[in-house]
Amino acid sequence: MIGTLVGLAILFPIITGLICLLIKNHRARGGIVSLTAVVLIISSILFLRQGPFPIEYSSASTWDSVILVFNYVILAIFLFVAIRDIGQRGISRHNILAIALTLAAGIPLAIFEFSWAPHTPLEVTPALYIDHLSIIMCLIISIIGSLICVYAIRYMRDHEEHRMHLGELKETTQPRFFFFMLMFLGAMNGLVFANNLLWLGFFWEMTTLACWGLIRHDETPIAITNAFRALWMCLIGSVGFSLAIMFLWNSSLNTISLMEVINNGAAAGPLFLLPFALLCLAGLTKAAQLPFQSWLLGAMVAPTPVSALLHSSTMVKAGVYLVLRIAPGFQGTHLSTLIAIYGGAVFLATAILAISQSEAKKVLAYSTIGNLGLIILCAGINTPLAIAVGIMLLIFHAISKGLLFLCAGAIEHHIWSRNIEDMEGIARNLPLLTGITIAGMLSMLVAPFGVLIAKWGAMEAASSIGVWSTLVLVLLMLGSGATTVFWAKWIGRFLCHSPVPGSSKMEPFIPLYHGILLMLITFAAVFSILIAPVYNSIVAPALTETGYTAALAFTTGAWFLKSPMGIFAAWPIFIIITLALLIPALTARAKPEASRSSYMCGENVEIGVDEFVAVADERTGLKTGGFYIENILGEGNLNRFVVPVGIVLLVILFVVAMI
Amino acid sequence: MSTGCLIGSAVIAVIVAPWIGGLLRGIDRKLTAHMQGRIGPPIIQPFYDVIKLFGKKPMVAGGAQLAFAYAYLALIITATVFFALRQDLLVVLFILFFGSLCLPIGALSVKSPYSQFGGHRELLQFLAYEPILLLAAIPIALKSGGFTIANIFEYGQPLLPHLWITFIALLIALAIVMRKSPFDISSSEHAHQELVRGVVTEYSGPYLALIELGHWYEMVLLLSILGLFWVTGGLWWLSIIIALASWFIMLIVDNINARLTWSWMLKFAWGAGISLVALNILFINLGWM
Repeated sequence: MIGTLVGLAILFPIITGLICLLIKNHRARGGIVSLTAVVLIISSILFLRQGPFPIEYSSASTWDSVILVFNYVILAIFLFVAIRDIGQRGISRHNILAIALTLAAGIPLAIFEFSWAPHTPLEVTPALYIDHLSIIMCLIISIIGSLICVYAIRYMRDHEEHRMHLGELKETTQPRFFFFMLMFLGAMNGLVFANNLLWLGFFWEMTTLACWGLIRHDETPIAITNAFRALWMCLIGSVGFSLAIMFLWNSSLNTISLMEVINNGAAAGPLFLLPFALLCLAGLTKAAQLPFQSWLLGAMVAPTPVSALLHSSTMVKAGVYLVLRIAPGFQGTHLSTLIAIYGGAVFLATAILAISQSEAKKVLAYSTIGNLGLIILCAGINTPLAIAVGIMLLIFHAISKGLLFLCAGAIEHHIWSRNIEDMEGIARNLPLLTGITIAGMLSMLVAPFGVLIAKWGAMEAASSIGVWSTLVLVLLMLGSGATTVFWAKWIGRFLCHSPVPGSSKMEPFIPLYHGILLMLITFAAVFSILIAPVYNSIVAPALTETGYTAALAFTTGAWFLKSPMGIFAAWPIFIIITLALLIPALTARAKPEASRSSYMCGENVEIGVDEFVAVADERTGLKTGGFYIENILGEGNLNRFVVPVGIVLLVILFVVAMI
Repeated sequence: MSTGCLIGSAVIAVIVAPWIGGLLRGIDRKLTAHMQGRIGPPIIQPFYDVIKLFGKKPMVAGGAQLAFAYAYLALIITATVFFALRQDLLVVLFILFFGSLCLPIGALSVKSPYSQFGGHRELLQFLAYEPILLLAAIPIALKSGGFTIANIFEYGQPLLPHLWITFIALLIALAIVMRKSPFDISSSEHAHQELVRGVVTEYSGPYLALIELGHWYEMVLLLSILGLFWVTGGLWWLSIIIALASWFIMLIVDNINARLTWSWMLKFAWGAGISLVALNILFINLGWM
């Protein structure tokens, strides 16, 4: 049974992805994608019901050889595409770095596998280690990732029709698109199950490959450039991986089993923190933390389902998963404290940068990087409470951010723009879509939703780590304030319109858009209401299995979630706030005759017309706009500080790991 | 305290808070008038105002404006209830913030330059005070051993001697929340400044009354949080004195200052306010306080 489920989780999407590559018929491809989604969702839920966890599983040793071969195949693909790019577009920083870093990651790995290792391929027992943390990731990947793929069926059709209409595209490229999307899901599932570091490294490269393929999908010059940037930045992490493997094998630990490294890391000698720092580096690059944030920001040129997938359930989540996974190994060290500060710095910097952005997907991207920073902060605090909060944030962020990207995509396909300024007043014409989007934003922002509960937990956890907690808390609180501002002003843009004469009309319901969005917002709400049972059934076991005392994190009751220092009365808060918001939102309707135009010093034209009377009774258009404080908080201004700070923190990270 | 007692105190809080808030508002106007050499309105003028506003014809200038006026009041009352139930201080603050956020969002949901102006500035006020209030919960929790307000009551000693630095920072935050000069950048008392009436420009009649009522609750809640600094350890009435004294300081500061720019406010709040609380946390962690 376990073997079958592992096969369904990892191999099945890769195989159906390959089938998609061959299918030219849109309907048939949609069928295959939907089938994969259903199978993945069911098998991930079945997996959760297996037990007892942790499951240690080793497959036939031929798979070790398969992975060995394909690992170098992927590296060869990287080299090939980078060299081809030099041929096509000339030498650039990005393709040169891609080549150099592929070699830097590949050569040490080859030296290790073919010369140092006692036999090739090097096997580890168990090859796969599956505990509740892996299963939580698997559920996120399989459920949210699959829903995004299903949404993409409709989205890509609209997207290509639009591009063909503009003359940018001649024939469909969807087979390749869905191949990468589905392969991504399989690779991610492999990544979260792997215990053999070579396997982990292989799936790691595979996600990098899929990410590269998806970012460059539209094949515009900017897409190709940004894809190469993502490639080389993620390859820095792969170099870290290769070096960590070499170090671990050479140390007295003499193993490449992830679980052994985590459990007996200190036995590796005085420099035992170095491999953890190297693995953290891999995690930080993948999670697009400072100073590597530019690859994820560049990734927004891809079609929106790609962004949704990268930000919610794959890719960046692999990065934070790895950091959370290895956190028990460096508990109580200075490295841990530094990682907390690092996460806090990222959270604050991205929240402030997000204020200055007018591109919808860029705001979402900064918010993602910030929330991942928050998860990394939790991993750095490294108490049972903090890790529990980190895992909860992982779940809730995946739901809400997947939702918000899909909303952004659906809105884009109605107004054909990604600019927040163009979204002014769209609540008037797209009430349902805007309503879901605003609910999604609130689910990232306010009580009683899960993200806020996690933020609450993070604040309480951060207060308990001694002297350095002061710095971590200041970063956390300032970031939290800035986060509120960029969400609130965006919500304000949606709602900004004059009163509608007559009754407002609902936009047509598109099942693959609205249906999936409604499903995700329901998840966000239901999981927040059921936070206590969710914690008890999956998060607490994950804590216990990773070596933390779950009783020191949260205790739960029917009404509340209790941390060692405080209490969150989840149910009462949920009920009261829902009543306080929903009742006015649904019932507070002004009578049409109560409508007035806004205050224009008495120079209004008439109700519902955005004009005012200027000199000589001339009617002049009324315009309003959002605020971005671009001249002070813009990227050009802040990146001068933010990027060096990221680099310095990274250097300190390694210094701390070596002393 | 028994559950019955707690529920009782929550009910009392919801009923009594607006009366105190309204009265304070009236005294505020009277004292301010005296400081400016005017006679000023009667002390219970705010109640007359609200009653009159409720009697006016409802008028609406934007889509979601109404819902946010109701949500503002409802959420602030919720925060008051959770405070009276002695819940987690961070949770009370989060609900309060959510309520406060309804005001700028409501303002932004009208296509009106003045209202937008006020909404944007209100968000900047929020950016200035939210971190201070949240951070201030930390030294309180570190000292009293937990984040719930019940913990503070169980602590048995006054907090102010250990946390006076935090208290000063909270006064800065209070001035920003109450939109008092020099921090009144998002609203103005007078109708014909460049802001007109800031966030509430487009609210009128009964909806303006709801917001006014919400303000009263908000003020009483914030002053109660300041009162927590001397709530146990004998002389409990000092908490009321402290709250009222803080309020009076706000009033004086309001009258002797002119409005300053948003960037100055942000620098001052993030610089002075946050540093003060951070120092306090550091001192507690180092065992000096």
